[in-house]
Amino acid sequence: MMRRAYLFGAMAMVVAAFPAHAWDAARGKEISAVCSACHGVDGNSPTPDFPIIAGQHAEYLYRSLLDYKLGNRGDPIMQGQVAELSRADMRDLAAYFASQDGLHLKR
Amino acid sequence: MQGRHLLIGMALAIASASAAALEGDSEAARDKLSMCIGCHGIPGYRTAFPEVYPVPKLGGQHAQYIVRALQAYRDETRRHPSMQAIARDLTDQEMADFAAYYSRPQGGAR
Repeated sequence: MMRRAYLFGAMAMVVAAFPAHAWDAARGKEISAVCSACHGVDGNSPTPDFPIIAGQHAEYLYRSLLDYKLGNRGDPIMQGQVAELSRADMRDLAAYFASQDGLHLKR
Repeated sequence: MQGRHLLIGMALAIASASAAALEGDSEAARDKLSMCIGCHGIPGYRTAFPEVYPVPKLGGQHAQYIVRALQAYRDETRRHPSMQAIARDLTDQEMADFAAYYSRPQGGAR
């Protein structure tokens, strides 16, 4: 019994250590409609004008969005899109598109 | 007047077609792939500089987008130290070849 309490306490500490919005793919899906217009519903963009983002590493997608937001990467469309996104939004979107089938690691 | 417009239209169409479509040869890319796979071909490989994150997956990406990304690195409109250094010396044909190689769908002929 005591042991179970310790375990529960440890789990609670782990949960508390992460921010409220930790890469929530389900929430990402909810706010992904505007992305889908160009990148496709699941991130497999139908046209070569826009990159496929399905299956890409979540951290890489987040990094790209952040770079647009910080002005490190220039693209008129994407810079406009990220202007209203919070970091939690960007993490959730990254998690959603990363969780879809698409790109693969090619050696 | 109409004839002139037609002529201009045709000239533009030809110009854009020749600029856009270099046929990529994925076999030709093989000899030069070593410069890519050291980062893009290793599961879980992360950039070391200037910031640490996983290098992007390229397999299955649109060929045209890969070419555009490489051109942007070459033109320095997109910045990453190692990618700029690599793209600087690539010809348009080499970019098309890499794009052809990486854009092939998974499980397809290698």
